[in-house]
Amino acid sequence: MKKGLIAILLLLSTICAHAEWLPEKSNRLVNDYSGILTAEQLQTLEQRLVAFNDSTSNQVLIVITPTIEGDDEDAAAQRIGQAWGVGQEEFNNGVVILIKSKTPEENWGAVAIATGYGVEGALPDLFCKRIIDNQMLGALGDGEYYRALTKALDVILPVLAGEYSYAQYNKDRKRRGAIAALIAVAFMVLVIVLVARYAKKHPDQWNNHGTGTGGGMIFGGPVGGTWRGGFSSGGGFGGFGGFGGGSFGGGGASGRF
Amino acid sequence: MKKGTIVIIAIVAVVAILVMWGIRVNNKLVTADENVQKAWAQVENVYKRRADLIPQLVATVQGAANFEKGTLTEVIQARSGIDNAKVDPTQLTEEQVAAYQKAQDNLGKALANTIKVTVERYPELTATQGFRDLQVQLEGTENRITVERGKFNEAVQGYNTMLRRFPNSIIAGICGFDKKGYFTAPEGSDEPVQVEFNF
Repeated sequence: MKKGLIAILLLLSTICAHAEWLPEKSNRLVNDYSGILTAEQLQTLEQRLVAFNDSTSNQVLIVITPTIEGDDEDAAAQRIGQAWGVGQEEFNNGVVILIKSKTPEENWGAVAIATGYGVEGALPDLFCKRIIDNQMLGALGDGEYYRALTKALDVILPVLAGEYSYAQYNKDRKRRGAIAALIAVAFMVLVIVLVARYAKKHPDQWNNHGTGTGGGMIFGGPVGGTWRGGFSSGGGFGGFGGFGGGSFGGGGASGRF
Repeated sequence: MKKGTIVIIAIVAVVAILVMWGIRVNNKLVTADENVQKAWAQVENVYKRRADLIPQLVATVQGAANFEKGTLTEVIQARSGIDNAKVDPTQLTEEQVAAYQKAQDNLGKALANTIKVTVERYPELTATQGFRDLQVQLEGTENRITVERGKFNEAVQGYNTMLRRFPNSIIAGICGFDKKGYFTAPEGSDEPVQVEFNF
């Protein structure tokens, strides 16, 4: 009986043994162990995420590391989230964005997004995969880590804040094409209006209302901002208050560059 | 007479202390037991999630041109196999956990094989959005399975340790608490379920 237990424990330890990479817990939301981001970029991201944490209680952690010591990037991101307790304990609303940067020794990069239990619904795996593919991998491939992170946060933060759903994201991608068409239509309408006014020359109603403001009105209407809510990183708040003890269950996705 | 009373009071006091201690240990074990059951529910959850993806896999593959039924028999059989491997969450003995794990591992292997065969036979399928989405979901599910199995093992370790420690083991014996089983590395676990592809 005792032997059996020892055998099981040994087996367990061998399962766990292969490289469980876990950096020491820090008290910041942006951790760049590769030294890629400039001080200013670090500051901007940190402020943005701290402000987001203060206003919504959602915690997004960014870790950039030169190595994950042969570990799997998905597992590493999950482990950091669980061990550091990203997100609030009662909501499990944490997200970890892990980037393994390219280095001369390890010439491959990887990015993983791990979602806490509470945000698996807002950020399903497929959605995370799309964010990585569409928002991040391109910029990361060009070595622009900051741009990749900013673009990803532009999508993730509004979704987490509940302003924006996965379905809307998909719609929006289609809508971008539609906007071009809309502008073309608006332009045509404008031309038609102008032509009509020329053709009518001096009918009474136009004279009475003074000279033309007609065109501008048409442009102003339907083509509005699709991206609501930028996050102003206003000054005046204190530092990050600490991780809340959120739990992670392996949700998320990853990609390589 | 007076001496006898003192002895009786002393005995009663000792028994009372023993009973109170026993209740405390029992309650702690109950809590640990509940933790294990909660962890088990999560394990079943994520395995269910994987099982639920199989109809989607079947539908995706069936949509391929020149599709042969044989491609899917293995995974469909394994899928029905796990329905028989039900476990009573209040028991979770080593045998039960092992049997459950075996059925699930079979499904995992069948799934990996089916996908391998699918990629070989229907390379055009791998380029479709539906198949790629399925891959992402399978990957996510495998990740979740690993995590929840790990958490279950942790909960069991806490429970078993508490249970086997002397003198807790006496109370555990009286109250009928049993050791629980771990998830172990399946045979041939050096080959993880392959859901990644080289396009």
